[in-house]
Amino acid sequence: MPQVSMIPEACRILAVTPHNSRDIHFVVEAPKQGFTPEPGQFVMVSLPGIGEAPFSLAALPGEGTAEGTFEMLIRRIGRLTNLITQLKAGDVLYVRGPYGRRVEWDQFEESNLILLAGGLGLAPLRSFVRRALGRRDRFGRIDLLVGARSPDELLFRTDLLVWASRQDDVHVHLTVDAAREGWDGRIGVITSLLDGLAVDTAGTTAFLCGPPVMYRHCLRRLLAMGLYEHNLWLTLERRMKCGLGLCGNCQVDGHYLCSEGPLVSYREVRHLRDVV
Amino acid sequence: MDNEIYRLPRERLDSLIERLARDYRVVGPVKQGATWMWTDVRPGMPLALDYPTTMLPPRQFFAPMRETLFRYHRGDDGRFAFEEPAGERPFALLGVHGCDLTALRVLRAFHESSCRDRLVPGRLDRSFVMGLACWTPCLPESFCRDMGSLESESPASLYVWDIGGVLLVKVQTARGREIMRDVGALDAATPDELVALRKRLRTRPEAFPAQLQFAPEKLATSLKAAESDILWEATADRCLSCGRCNLVCPTCTCFDVGDQASLSGGDGTRTRSWTGCQVPGFSRVAGGHDFRPGRAQQLRYRIFRKGKYMPERYGMVGCTGCGRCATHCPTHISIREIFLQVGRAP
Ligand SMILES: Cc1cc2nc3c(=O)[nH]c(=O)nc-3n(C[C@H](O)[C@H](O)[C@H](O)COP(=O)(O)OP(=O)(O)OC[C@H]3O[C@@H](n4cnc5c(N)ncnc54)[C@H](O)[C@@H]3O)c2cc1C
Ligand code: SF4
Ligand code: SF4
Ligand code: FES
Repeated sequence: MPQVSMIPEACRILAVTPHNSRDIHFVVEAPKQGFTPEPGQFVMVSLPGIGEAPFSLAALPGEGTAEGTFEMLIRRIGRLTNLITQLKAGDVLYVRGPYGRRVEWDQFEESNLILLAGGLGLAPLRSFVRRALGRRDRFGRIDLLVGARSPDELLFRTDLLVWASRQDDVHVHLTVDAAREGWDGRIGVITSLLDGLAVDTAGTTAFLCGPPVMYRHCLRRLLAMGLYEHNLWLTLERRMKCGLGLCGNCQVDGHYLCSEGPLVSYREVRHLRDVV
Repeated sequence: MDNEIYRLPRERLDSLIERLARDYRVVGPVKQGATWMWTDVRPGMPLALDYPTTMLPPRQFFAPMRETLFRYHRGDDGRFAFEEPAGERPFALLGVHGCDLTALRVLRAFHESSCRDRLVPGRLDRSFVMGLACWTPCLPESFCRDMGSLESESPASLYVWDIGGVLLVKVQTARGREIMRDVGALDAATPDELVALRKRLRTRPEAFPAQLQFAPEKLATSLKAAESDILWEATADRCLSCGRCNLVCPTCTCFDVGDQASLSGGDGTRTRSWTGCQVPGFSRVAGGHDFRPGRAQQLRYRIFRKGKYMPERYGMVGCTGCGRCATHCPTHISIREIFLQVGRAP
């Protein structure tokens, strides 16, 4: 087995776009060596002296973003993210990765796709949407279901608009938990978007990413709709300190989610304790 | 090589330490106040070959309580540059009990199954270990015999039986043989000494009464039947979440990562330090959600990891029966008692 170092690489920020007051979108130079991630993988990003944390890839190199770059959406929530979200284009982030299990996409071909993104969950799922749209003819119907707490918290609006304009390729459904006047879209939890969605149970794969509360409800609905357990894919968040299967923070029943996940099928994990 | 048992007169221990010190940083159990601690030893120091285990396990030498992953400093271009620390002098550990030898094998199994750590496997490879047989349980909470670690002699290069008077040393590796030769201790044990050894080994089990009444291999299945939180709540209720059980355990491996910046912020170190599944916040993610919020879930997790997940994944039970966790737990939560309960359940 290769020995691994935890030394990160200095990667320049190429562009910064705030999506709202706390969610900031970064385009970043990718690490030079071996950076060929799959959707669902993540990077460890740090600022020396402050700390390091895992972040999902909101776009993979060459898939809707330039070769040699990747994208992240970072929410200001604590010490490290407070500082990162103040950085500007030209500043440097320290990156190592990609980490996480590489899930083969061949197995999803021919399938209909339902992507359920709650809040920040759209960040990783964006690279799934782009992967699917990049090979559009290999998939059946694609539905993207996006839930946010309020219209202000809807992320990646530009993408949502572009995707919504590609009705034939992807059906975009939005909902918010609550809204003030001026929102003429749907109000309700994300599971309500599943009502009336016509699916062919055997031929549909669903990907879920969102806050912890979302999983149980969505899973119950999707299973009730007849989707197979092995076709339900979850990206699971855990505390992750190394990304290498060593530090143990990400353990679920002896499984290390940083390397055996974070993308897992419900069938693989449903017998484990405290999963969702 | 199995039958290479030599005599080491007690006063020759100093020559052994001296010889090892040429190639290793030599550590062994030394009495400090009322306790015994792994201490750097020099010839002339009283190595406590009768020590009743240490609070901190030998893993501290393979995965230190806190260690530098790398240093960083800001270069002229404003970017940070990184530098990993140079390799340190390998360790020679003298007087490692069967439970802790077993734990070294568990550490090895963990690192071989997982991604290869940059530092720990190399330390396991380069270190020199001298095992030491136990004649009585170290602690009231020890149940090493039940866990099969009392008789564990691997991965030691030399393995010592203190039969009173002379020490009998079994050579288990070529390196061990080389060291014994350098020390001039290649006189075979006498027939009388071998008889005395065999006799002590035959009566030893009497000093270690069976505590579990079932084989450790059965633990995984017994625990499977003990999933329910209710079973854990009564015991977990006493837990203070101090994490001491994790810290003293010779087979725990979890660590946290953090940065220590100098005042100027221009340089510092990224370090890793021991943490564990009983430490509050261990399973908490951004946003505050905790996947194992209750003490019952946390306690269940620790016991399941040792008794079920580790054997399933690494092929070795994660508990050696050393008794440290129960001994140092401020509220006396005993993994031995828990194992006994779940093993007894129909
Ligand atoms: C696989 C994965 C993908 C992620 N993707 C994104 C993303 O795309 N965008 C985004 O904004 N956030 C993402 N996160 C969450 C992100 O890692 C946390 O927001 C970040 O750790 C907070 O760090 P902080 O120093 O700002 O907060 P802190 O001040 O450290 O703490 C805030 C909270 O975060 C928890 N926390 C600390 N360290 C970690 C850690 N290493 N992993 C998980 N939780 C931790 C703490 O327990 C605390 O509750 C992801 C997390 C994981 C595990
Ligand atoms: S040592 Fe005892 S009180 Fe402390 S965390 Fe472990 S079980 Fe709980
Ligand atoms: S769980 Fe307790 S008894 Fe078992 S090896 Fe760890 S410290 Fe020793
Ligand atoms: S993040 Fe360290 S083991 Fe998974």
